[in-house]
Amino acid sequence: MEHIILFAGPMGAGKTTAIRTLSDIEVVSTEAANTDREQSDKDTTTVALDYGEISITDEEKVRLYGIPGQRRFEFMWRILRERAEGMVLLVHIDAPDAVASVREFIIEFFDLVERGGVVVGITRSDMAPGPTITDFTDALELQLPELMVPVMLVDPRDRGHMELLLMTLVANIETRAAFGATLETEYSA
Amino acid sequence: MKLKAAPAHKDVAIIDASTAILREMTELASSLRYATVLTDDGFEVVSVPTHKADGRLASMASSVQALSEAVARELEIGDAPYVIIASEAGHVIQLRVPGHELVLAALFDVAETLGKALSTSRLAAEKLATALTSR
Repeated sequence: MEHIILFAGPMGAGKTTAIRTLSDIEVVSTEAANTDREQSDKDTTTVALDYGEISITDEEKVRLYGIPGQRRFEFMWRILRERAEGMVLLVHIDAPDAVASVREFIIEFFDLVERGGVVVGITRSDMAPGPTITDFTDALELQLPELMVPVMLVDPRDRGHMELLLMTLVANIETRAAFGATLETEYSA
Repeated sequence: MKLKAAPAHKDVAIIDASTAILREMTELASSLRYATVLTDDGFEVVSVPTHKADGRLASMASSVQALSEAVARELEIGDAPYVIIASEAGHVIQLRVPGHELVLAALFDVAETLGKALSTSRLAAEKLATALTSR
């Protein structure tokens, strides 16, 4: 059995790092020199995709696809979301409006939320002040009252954190598939 | 206080040099339909004709360049400075500007041979590299 999971979130959230932390194989990366230092003060940025794989059991593998965080690469979002079953949404707590950013990505990828599932990982919480985890869960409860979206504080460099986040998503997807559950909620922005 | 340099797509000297090179390309190749200079990370520096510019080709060219280089890395076949997309109604040529974090992407119609389109684009990229290095 295989799962295809998308790693989404704004630039600088730690998507590439998370996939490198999780992957059992050498990650395929498409990084370019970052010229947008106002957005994120890092040397490189993903411009097409990151790809990694992790085996859960001998027969179960998860393919991990990271997408660029910037909207100008939206065409890559559309290409990569088509086969995905679920989304790991990473948002750094010191993003300009981290809560709004979570809501925006949920709206953007609502088809994935509907057919598969989503988990939210809040990064950099140990490095910068920002909203509390309750701020995120309250916003999501308001946005998706029919659905419980797991929200965790994670360090994308920590394999244990990332495995817990990923396995939570995989368990949700498998549970939904096993019970044939569909999300019967209207998106409420 | 250390002043930050302007990003390439806002650097007047890079914009001026790129504009001059793209205009020269247009004069040399009547089959050139569209050309753009972009940063590695997909920001458009300048395009001709300007009325078609919406940054979309720049973003796509950035992704395609990075993907082609990722494939070359995986296959261990060395650098991949060129990307050629040969379609029924035109050729897209894109290549790195040597020594700079810039890419030149151009669309030629099929009246141009692939070889001529590549040669024109390569010459333009080399001229741009020289102009930027000597500034």
